[in-house]
Amino acid sequence: MPVHLTRRTILTLIGAGAVSLATPLAAQDDALRLAFIPQENPEKLLGDIEAITGWLASEIGVPVEGFVTIDHAAAVEALRNGDADISFMGALPFVLAEAEIGAVPLLSEVYRGAPSYTGRIFVRRDSGIRALADLRGHDIAFADPISESGYLYPLAEFVEAGLIEGPGQAEAFFGRVFFAGGYQQAMQAMAEGLVDAAGASQYADLLLTPRQQAEVTWIAESAPIPSHLVIARPGLDAALRDRFVDAMLRLNEPEHRNKLGYLYGPDGYVRADGAAYDGVRDLARQYGLLR
Amino acid sequence: MIQKFLGAFIAALASALVLSGPVAATPAKEAPWLPEAAAYRLTLFLGNLEPLPWDDVVTAWAEPYRGSEFSVGALAWLDGSSDIGPAPLLDAITRKDRQAVFAEATRLIALRIEEELDRVLATEDPATAQQALRTARELYRAFEDGVAAADSEAARRIGLAWLELNSSTGFSGVLGAGSTSADRETMESARAVISGYLAENYLVDDFATRRALSALPETAVLSGRAIEVPPSLPPGSDIFDQDPLPLLVLNFEEQGIDETDLPLVAYGDMLFDSAQIFGSPARDLGITCSTCHNRSDINQRLFVPGASHQPGTIDVDGAFFNPIFNDRRDDPLDIPSLRGLRFTGPYGRDGRFASLRDFTRNVIVNEFGGDEPTPFMMDALVAYMLEFDFLPNSMLTTDGRLTDTAQAAARRGEKIFNRPFAGLGDRSCASCHVPDANFLDRQAHDIGSVAPGYEGARAGALDTPTLLGTAYTAPYFHEGSLPTLAAVVDWFDETKSLGLTEDDRADLTAYLETVGAADEPYEAFDTENTAFRLAFAELTTFASTIDTLLPRRDAEHILLLTDTVAADLSADASTMSNLPARPEVYALAERLAAVGAAVRVEDWEAAEASWTAFKSEADAIEERAF
Repeated sequence: MPVHLTRRTILTLIGAGAVSLATPLAAQDDALRLAFIPQENPEKLLGDIEAITGWLASEIGVPVEGFVTIDHAAAVEALRNGDADISFMGALPFVLAEAEIGAVPLLSEVYRGAPSYTGRIFVRRDSGIRALADLRGHDIAFADPISESGYLYPLAEFVEAGLIEGPGQAEAFFGRVFFAGGYQQAMQAMAEGLVDAAGASQYADLLLTPRQQAEVTWIAESAPIPSHLVIARPGLDAALRDRFVDAMLRLNEPEHRNKLGYLYGPDGYVRADGAAYDGVRDLARQYGLLR
Repeated sequence: MIQKFLGAFIAALASALVLSGPVAATPAKEAPWLPEAAAYRLTLFLGNLEPLPWDDVVTAWAEPYRGSEFSVGALAWLDGSSDIGPAPLLDAITRKDRQAVFAEATRLIALRIEEELDRVLATEDPATAQQALRTARELYRAFEDGVAAADSEAARRIGLAWLELNSSTGFSGVLGAGSTSADRETMESARAVISGYLAENYLVDDFATRRALSALPETAVLSGRAIEVPPSLPPGSDIFDQDPLPLLVLNFEEQGIDETDLPLVAYGDMLFDSAQIFGSPARDLGITCSTCHNRSDINQRLFVPGASHQPGTIDVDGAFFNPIFNDRRDDPLDIPSLRGLRFTGPYGRDGRFASLRDFTRNVIVNEFGGDEPTPFMMDALVAYMLEFDFLPNSMLTTDGRLTDTAQAAARRGEKIFNRPFAGLGDRSCASCHVPDANFLDRQAHDIGSVAPGYEGARAGALDTPTLLGTAYTAPYFHEGSLPTLAAVVDWFDETKSLGLTEDDRADLTAYLETVGAADEPYEAFDTENTAFRLAFAELTTFASTIDTLLPRRDAEHILLLTDTVAADLSADASTMSNLPARPEVYALAERLAAVGAAVRVEDWEAAEASWTAFKSEADAIEERAF
């Protein structure tokens, strides 16, 4: 859900002291600044941020402020220039941010018991398309060029199957390739028959109506993709970082689980294992995104 | 981030099957609407009500819609994000000129889309462009169902244009990696497709007079073709089950009798959950008896703008559900519980129907515009509803006295409850709420809770409601004007000059809360008893009546069942936590649909085969899938 944000920042927030990040603060050790990626109505996100930063502040014992960035790139930029200490981040933007600015992985989201998920190629059940090869000459919608489950990993399945030589050669196999702007937009385009297939997260069909869900199926599934994470700027005070991580892990406890709804709704968090993202790094290199 | 339940764009709810027609009673969750798009959809909806609730139209633009994730209404939102002034629209609303309101609101939305598309084209920054594009696309949602209903080819053309625009706008990537540059030529041509259509259909200087307000494109209206836009509820509507879910207490079930051994009751149970017995729009929206009377009790969250004045209320004889039955009076009622139904007659708030059967027929045919039900359907519905029992309450004996488990305050309250008061004509509370008669007297009394409709009206007498189970059915009184049982006590004390002390009131409230309590008021879900499992058991129980209907070659009632249950089964699969098992449930739903398809062409052998397959697969899923 869009809202007009400026590239540097945005709406105001919250927690233990409202701050407008239009005027960046100098880095300081007695407050924690969290960058959020707008994946839905930023107004709702602001309410969520208020709730979660308030709780984190009470747990950590320092003021916690949050702000919404316009996209992943802006969040990484905020980490780089010290406007943000911590950011929520997808796996691919994380490995890019790690390479460029030394971003540190702290926590990985858990879904259905695992800190990973997959990407799938979805089609309509009545399309007659049963295998990846059947999509030759057909149109496909992906989410976004830097989406793991909504582009990179599903496309890698075509490479794996020998249908596409590599990234950049997709156009030669498909009819048309669209970037729809998100999982839901890609899935809707496929469900409505605008395109023949969609590449999106394994859970993306849940974004369709119950009727549409019954009308779609998937024909290929990627290797496990490490989950989205929470990352920190490299210079963040280690003690403060640890207190933040400990507080976040308390969200796994039954009495705090309801607060996960304020944070993009994972089932919980685990400490991030940097090595778990090697596959993403490899793929990013393969796609020419990482040197 | 990964598994975001934003909900899906709701089209009109429809069958989850590839078959034509049936509608699932599982409403789809809607993605949030942008404020001005929401106000527009509300305007269309409210503009079709008679009499037109102008105050609600004003509210639709001035305040956030109910449940909105935005903290401001459309006007404030426009003020902050748009250069388009709402003055012409506000002027039309002030003049109460329905056609002008339609025209101005439609143009406003179209102009907003154009404004955002201009921003897309004007910026060099992909992130800003993407954001403006998302906004434009979200605003276009306000027109989408109209375009789809009128011209599927245009809908497709425009859908592709949005995709092309999004793909050609360019992406920022991260720190330069993964960035793509804009393709201005494609952007321009895709934008031209969208803007051209808007200019022709929604940015019209002089719209044709609209008898029914809808998002139909102007060219389609001018063509004179009869085009049905599927009914939809406006933003702010809520027809979802209440949470926690009330516990359903069925007399036979408590005695260990299996519903599958009671085909008439099971069929009635199915009808109670079937939107097919109603007419449009209720049928198309998936509204059923149980939408309001959730698990025989009430749905406290139900809300339809223009038909509800607060959650848990609905005006069933207004303009929306069945215009022919519109009494032109804005009088939503608090949804009554149906627990213990066989003891609570006569029916209707003022006891206008002595017979449950007559009352139920009136709901189906008049309130919700359904076809005349068959005698079998009526028998089944009544048989099922007569099994609704009150919630067990161990603090109360069967003849309505408190047991030893009740607290001291409640005991003191019991005495007050049975004490005669001058203000009650030397009667007590218990005179009407008779404890050994389920706390009611089956009579109508005018206690002064109804504002007279005209000078000298004697129309304020309402049926004495039971007090059983009422701890979970707030608010109280016929229009839900009193929020708590304590407020009810206060009301009687003040209006009837009972002269109660503060302690008396507290004790009497404690008594009412004790009488209205239950040992287990809500369904307890856990990893074993999931919401889907409950739905699955219900739906397969409904289906079991085919065992009775197939040998009788009763095509009409089999089709009503398969149309209802197959669609619901399929739709409910979307709620399964066991995601890998969903395809099996879809396949099972198709088996049931196949029974219906075979019955439609009178191929009874094929129907039998599909039914046999359904039963064995349902058993296998029951064992394996959860």
